[in-house]
Amino acid sequence: MDSFLTAFFSGTSQGAIYALVSLGLVLVWRGAGVVNFAQMGQAMFTTYIASQLIQNNYSYWSAFVIALISGAILGAIVDLGLMRPLTSRKNSQLLNSQSMRTTIPVIASLGILGVLKSLAGIFWAGEERGFPTPVPANSIKIGSTNLAITGFDLFVIGVVFITLVLTTIFFTKTGMGLAMRASALNPEVTRLSGIKVGSVRTLGWAISGTASSLAGLLITPKTNLSPNTLDLLLIVGFTAAVVGGLTSLAGSVLGGFIVGYVIAFVNVYGAPENVFIAILVFLLLALFIRPQGILGSKEVRRV
Amino acid sequence: MLNVSNLITEFASIKALNDISFQAKPGCITTVIGANGAGKSTLLRTISGLERPTSGSIKWLDQELTNKSVESIVRSGIAQVPEGHAVISQLSVAENIELGGLFRKRKARGDLEVATKEVYELFPILYERRREPAGSLSGGERQMLAISRALVSRPKLLLLDEPSLGLAPLISAQIISIVNELCRNTGLTVLLVEQNANTALAVADHGILLALGKVVANLPAKELIADSSLRAAYLGY
Repeated sequence: MDSFLTAFFSGTSQGAIYALVSLGLVLVWRGAGVVNFAQMGQAMFTTYIASQLIQNNYSYWSAFVIALISGAILGAIVDLGLMRPLTSRKNSQLLNSQSMRTTIPVIASLGILGVLKSLAGIFWAGEERGFPTPVPANSIKIGSTNLAITGFDLFVIGVVFITLVLTTIFFTKTGMGLAMRASALNPEVTRLSGIKVGSVRTLGWAISGTASSLAGLLITPKTNLSPNTLDLLLIVGFTAAVVGGLTSLAGSVLGGFIVGYVIAFVNVYGAPENVFIAILVFLLLALFIRPQGILGSKEVRRV
Repeated sequence: MLNVSNLITEFASIKALNDISFQAKPGCITTVIGANGAGKSTLLRTISGLERPTSGSIKWLDQELTNKSVESIVRSGIAQVPEGHAVISQLSVAENIELGGLFRKRKARGDLEVATKEVYELFPILYERRREPAGSLSGGERQMLAISRALVSRPKLLLLDEPSLGLAPLISAQIISIVNELCRNTGLTVLLVEQNANTALAVADHGILLALGKVVANLPAKELIADSSLRAAYLGY
């Protein structure tokens, strides 16, 4: 029972972080049709910014907020500075074919990842460093029994829960949320409704940047921070997004938690070195059994 | 007044619109008819900014439109109802309508509520089904929704691209007659593209016949209906 609870709680708090990563990926995929390989590079970079601020005696919370804002700005810069100019050059010969139009941004995102990693190496010497937690990372005690959950786990679950509630309210109750969903589903009809689809898309990149920046802040106390530590997180997040259905925001969050549990249970009942294989096996199984994802919709074409 | 002059729109050096000039008078229905591939849809898409013309000018209320973005054209009072009952099927009926007025939510919240009420009065079936996804509507209902989405933006010029396409005759007649009433009662200017020439000319004030990207006739609707030689040559009946 003890090991079950350990796996369950660790799965929930890790799954919450994967849900953020997956949400960030799906936001950009739906909004801009780009698989953003730079996403965790952006998160790594903003977590370094937070780490630098904390070293310079800023409080955890001010560093936390500044990192989230930098995440939003970095996301917007990637779109405005690179993705938009790359895809809007209509007369370029290369961009005439649909397949190139979809491939080029993906390759570009790999380029950004490389640039961000090099910059982190230049600014922070690429050394691996720890990252603090705002609450103690010890197991919570009731009386004399240690629970299988730490204070920091509860913090992670709480922060992600609040984020998801705010995101849901934003998408379902506000005009801007409606504009974002509409732009992702049908850009032409949305533009004909007088909405600036380009700006809405940039906002999507910014929100995605914030979500991944938050994921970076929440995961690095456990993994430590180096230019490469968040690479695995992208793969896990991508698996979660595919399992959830790539086009569904709710699905991406659900996928995050499912993958979190898979990893936690393999870790506790199997061996930690098998986790990576388990993720890939799980991804393949999910693709075989339900290729459109749990909440994804099959593409229906009316004629 | 919409004033189109010497408009040329090319797709890979093929002239889809070849030197088009005409005017659409305010408060009137001007219909553009012609066979498939005559350039009717391209004309509307060029006016609304979805396609960029190679040369020529489109003037609306003395403003040049050809260098404006789609969004700012919509915001200047021109709403397009695209071909094929274009609604967003995954969004609810109410959300599709809300989308049409979203850009003026901050400035004209009160009027937006009035406009929304008006389209629900115009199409009561949409009010009944407002919470359902737009994809579950029938073809006619989706066309009504597409028109409603355009109307809540309070357009002065409505561009309709083949509203009767794929609809049962009775329903398409109903939709055309509602558009006609809107024009007569509210002074809306309508530019109606139709393949179904008879239905369109029956309500229109003015008719423009397109063939292979050129204007071959520009006449009052009544004269165009009466001209059997034009019909035989370009519409095939």
